[in-house]
Amino acid sequence: MLKKLWTHYFIPQEKNNHRATLLKPNFLLFFLILYLLNQSVIKTLVIIKPGILGYSSEITVQKVLDQTNNERKNLGLESLSYNSILSQSAQKKAEDMFENDYWAHNSPQGKTPWTFFDASGYKYSVAGENLAKDFYNTESLIKAWMNSPTHKANIVHQKYKEIGIAVVNGTIDGIKTTLVVEHFGTPLIGQIETSSTLTNDSQVSKSSGVKTGNILAGNSEKLISPLTVSKIFNSAIFIVLVIVLFVDGYITIKNNVHRLTGSTVGHIGFLIFIFLLMIYNQQGSIF
Amino acid sequence: MIIPKEVKQKPFEYIILLICLVIGFIFYILIGDNQARRWIIYSVGIVYFAWSLYHHYQRGDLQLSIVVEYLLVILLGIVFISGTLF
Repeated sequence: MLKKLWTHYFIPQEKNNHRATLLKPNFLLFFLILYLLNQSVIKTLVIIKPGILGYSSEITVQKVLDQTNNERKNLGLESLSYNSILSQSAQKKAEDMFENDYWAHNSPQGKTPWTFFDASGYKYSVAGENLAKDFYNTESLIKAWMNSPTHKANIVHQKYKEIGIAVVNGTIDGIKTTLVVEHFGTPLIGQIETSSTLTNDSQVSKSSGVKTGNILAGNSEKLISPLTVSKIFNSAIFIVLVIVLFVDGYITIKNNVHRLTGSTVGHIGFLIFIFLLMIYNQQGSIF
Repeated sequence: MIIPKEVKQKPFEYIILLICLVIGFIFYILIGDNQARRWIIYSVGIVYFAWSLYHHYQRGDLQLSIVVEYLLVILLGIVFISGTLF
């Protein structure tokens, strides 16, 4: 009985009109609804029980500093000195993002990165900011920054002498996350240069509902990321679909069956393309 | 290596599809901006749909059930990837 059912859903045969039932439009629609339902449950859970789903990373200030300087060394540039005032500035920026529930270089209240440099009392001739969130480890974070020309420009900027880093956990949009802020600068001594460097033109994201951040530096309790839950769920459905498509294709070729369906090879190609994007996708986002 | 009959019959159409998917993937890797990446995914979806219409028209079996199947596969792909990326 179970075998019959299994073959009906997974194996193309006369009884299912030579098409695995899981690949028929009604089941594809079912997968789509299942996915949307899963997304809705995750989002609802985040709103109702904000502490259940969240993000906990292995990123530390020291690791970010070391790896940023490694990238500079690889290009024959001087290492950046750690500056505690710049770190305060970076910390304030991260706290401000949590307090005002935004994720951008400029705050909805109009604060620019330079507001935080000034508020911390760091007088600069040239300065810059890199932001990141939702990364699990430092390696992938630095790799993502180095792959982005604007962020890389900050990391390997010849004129920067000092750096301040903040790694802060908190809640944005109801989801616990880890924010990483790098503030670069050169102290204002002698020659004044008025230009400032930003990694990206800011696009301020407004979101309703202010959540007070649970501000911590370093590691925190282990939480499950909604992004990870979503990825695992999607990957599972994808793998099932692609396996069924392969089996379907193989049996159809073997039995030399002519049927009125979409191209199995085409579907496999398109789904593999989507799956590769999911694998390639970075763990978090940078700004 | 088993080459499906449908590929043997119309190899050129499948080569075109493969090229489109590879180009889409390369663009996705090269472009760092999320908004642009979103449009790359939509574009590949549209290209795949257009390819399917042409492919089945050429085969003479372009029917509503097939069109619906392609739409659902494309929608599934786009919705899945959008949920994890953006």
